[in-house]
Amino acid sequence: MSAAEKMSRRDEMETLLPFYLNGSLEGSDLEAVEEWLASDPAALAALGEAEAEFSGATAANEAIRPPADALSRFAKALDAEAGPARKPAGSSWLAQAWGRFMAVPVGVAWAAAAVLLALVMVQSFVEPGGKGNDFEIAGAQDDLAKMPFALVKFKPDAKMSDISAFLGSNGLKIIGGPTADGVFRLGIPAANAADYTKQIGLIAAQPFTETVIEGRKPADGG
Amino acid sequence: MTAATETDRALVDRVAKGDRAAVRLLFMRHHARVYRFVARQTGSEMMADDIANEVFLELWRQAPGFEGRSEVSTWLLGIARFKALSLLRKKKEDWIDDEAAAAVPDSADTPEVVTMKEDKAAALRRFVNALPEEHRVVIDLAYYHGQSVSEIGEVLDIPVATVKTRMFYARKKLGEALKAAGYDRGWP
Repeated sequence: MSAAEKMSRRDEMETLLPFYLNGSLEGSDLEAVEEWLASDPAALAALGEAEAEFSGATAANEAIRPPADALSRFAKALDAEAGPARKPAGSSWLAQAWGRFMAVPVGVAWAAAAVLLALVMVQSFVEPGGKGNDFEIAGAQDDLAKMPFALVKFKPDAKMSDISAFLGSNGLKIIGGPTADGVFRLGIPAANAADYTKQIGLIAAQPFTETVIEGRKPADGG
Repeated sequence: MTAATETDRALVDRVAKGDRAAVRLLFMRHHARVYRFVARQTGSEMMADDIANEVFLELWRQAPGFEGRSEVSTWLLGIARFKALSLLRKKKEDWIDDEAAAAVPDSADTPEVVTMKEDKAAALRRFVNALPEEHRVVIDLAYYHGQSVSEIGEVLDIPVATVKTRMFYARKKLGEALKAAGYDRGWP
């Protein structure tokens, strides 16, 4: 190897040393530097010089101190730029509804929850052509229109889980409402007037019931 | 995955979905380096402050289009470089001077006089600062920002071969300056 070629190789290795030190070197360049470091007595001294440059460059950069309030000023600029927060993507309508529900006062929350409850109950119990908890529903819209019902208002502090469990275990369904003042139309699967009256009494006796008003009774009712 | 271990790319994905907390996390991770990078290029901390803020607002705007072809840090430095150049051009400052780039760093005192008062580390820091901008930025990107040859090419929008050439001359100038100051390191 001539002196010129040797110098050229040295130049090339010196050029690659900073990248060897920062760990970004790979492939044939990495192999070449490692081979050089292993074979040339001058290479380790050169590596030491590059490390000194590394320290010098780092110190020169770190001598510059960003302003301490940079983040707070950026946050304000971001708010000015972005305007109202974007809706988080990927969450379901139910999760979003639940989030909104959790953000409102208890009294209002209950009305909102009642709407959700009604949606869930109707979806699960009166799906057209589907099966209810204890009986099959056919031609649901007609059946719902003819179904015996009562108008019910629940207490503001009632727990949704208690109501849901009670309705489910007695075959009762929310088929309408709530009105502006929180009154629900409750479908009552009673075969006769006596059964209807018994169910109304049962609803009225629940701790979460505020008011029950009799509506349409079964056909044989008086 | 906690915020502390969440990758930059995962955070950019969150930013793309409108997550402001994610952009603030990225700001905390990268702001100081972006700020220093711009300050070193422009020589103005006031400009660095404005541009660094703009870089992260740009991150907010461009996150939905980020394809992950480069590291987030490289992407941010590329944006910072572009914005700094644009601002400097507006100010009609001829900041890249090829003749100056070819010259050994100047100083008010001769290197010998200065280095009599300081050790080698301090001298190196001083010589790095005195490098022409096109050489100093390559030194900064490699040593301080940990960028690879190809990443530096991406940030500066120059070919890989040019990155290597600039690194060669940058290190050569540092060696010459050290030699003139009495620290002969055997190369060049």
